[in-house]
Amino acid sequence: MSEFSFLTNGVQFMAQNPKMLVMWGIGALLIWLAIGKDFEPALLLPMGFGAILVNLPLPGVVGDAGIVKWLFEKGIVASEAFPLLLFVGIGAMIDFGPLLSNPRMLLFGGAAQFGIFLTVVLAVLLGFPLKDAMAAGVIGAADGPTSILVSQVLHSNYIGAIAVAAYSYMALVPIIQPAAIRLVTTKHERMIHMPYNPKAVSKTTKILFPIIVTLIAGLVAPDSVALVGFLMFGNLIRESGKLEGLSQTAQGPLANLITIFLGITIAYQMRAEQFLTLGTLMIMALGLFAFVFDTIGGVVFAKILNLFLPKDKKINPMVGGAGISAFPMSARVIQKMALKEDNQNHLLMHAVGANVAGQVGSVVAGGIILNLARIWGMI
Amino acid sequence: MMQLNAMAVLFKSLMGDVSGADVSKSFELMGKGMLGIFIVMVLIYGVIVMLNKSTGSKNTK
Repeated sequence: MSEFSFLTNGVQFMAQNPKMLVMWGIGALLIWLAIGKDFEPALLLPMGFGAILVNLPLPGVVGDAGIVKWLFEKGIVASEAFPLLLFVGIGAMIDFGPLLSNPRMLLFGGAAQFGIFLTVVLAVLLGFPLKDAMAAGVIGAADGPTSILVSQVLHSNYIGAIAVAAYSYMALVPIIQPAAIRLVTTKHERMIHMPYNPKAVSKTTKILFPIIVTLIAGLVAPDSVALVGFLMFGNLIRESGKLEGLSQTAQGPLANLITIFLGITIAYQMRAEQFLTLGTLMIMALGLFAFVFDTIGGVVFAKILNLFLPKDKKINPMVGGAGISAFPMSARVIQKMALKEDNQNHLLMHAVGANVAGQVGSVVAGGIILNLARIWGMI
Repeated sequence: MMQLNAMAVLFKSLMGDVSGADVSKSFELMGKGMLGIFIVMVLIYGVIVMLNKSTGSKNTK
């Protein structure tokens, strides 16, 4: 019988590594959340399956010639290609029209990044090294690709946990945001009406916008230029009006292909010995904190602006909460909340403007963090 | 001397030692980060306003 022991080696290996079995459970949980609860299924399902795949007896897919290891090294470590290519697809999906016709919404895209920086302070006070604290803060941007890219460039030890947190909380926007917004607003504030009188936006403006934003990002925050540049490249393809085929490819097949491999590649960082730590739990908690305070940052900023605005120009503070990057979920949540308070209060287009501003804000925040990390000699 | 104080361990926290240097850098990051984002956003705001003014009447969609 001993000749057949090679068939039981794997079982013996697993019995000696019970942490890997726990990771199977976590993988199954992510798959259940994706399929059973419809939580960001495009990312959580590949990550869940990947979590099981990378926690099988070695060498499997994570050995020296393992496919998941290769994907991680080439697609994430060497070039951050996967998150950046995904940005081309995201850029092609975004219509910046509501923002271009109402550019003051950009301010909320800035204010709603406050949670990122507050989380960095908290994480440092909890004893995380600064690089991990900075990477954890970016979860608050509600922008999965940016979170992955920043944590990778900073060589954080928690890339897997950060990716899981970023995508899980994005899926929980309809639960987290209403609770956070109610915490800092009154019913009266939530009922403020905002008339929507969009100005016409020229095609020239729509074409020049992605080019000029890339130039500004490149000059002011050079480390954000890969993120901003690829986002805006996708948007330029969309707005050019001449590349409908490429635009559709970027929005569909390209984004889908990258999404399939991004999830399973990130799972490389979900190996039991790396993932099952107190640090992972803390990162998940910090991510939630960042998410909540990003929302609160946008809402409070709107309330501060209201102190200086005439009565008929007041901003519904909930719109500020849409300044995060979870697009278009956040805008929909704000619209739903507004209608719940007053069924004649339509805030959708304002919230969409703030929401696309949040896309720009989150990549700029990621770039500024990387800029400062470079100045401080961390990368 | 200031440098030495900043490098010193302030206290032990849940995940390890908390250094004064990291705490001060995290606050610096908050200040510079938020200011930086607002500068970029205001620049983009200005560009949009200019673009809308200069191209709005010629080629509206």
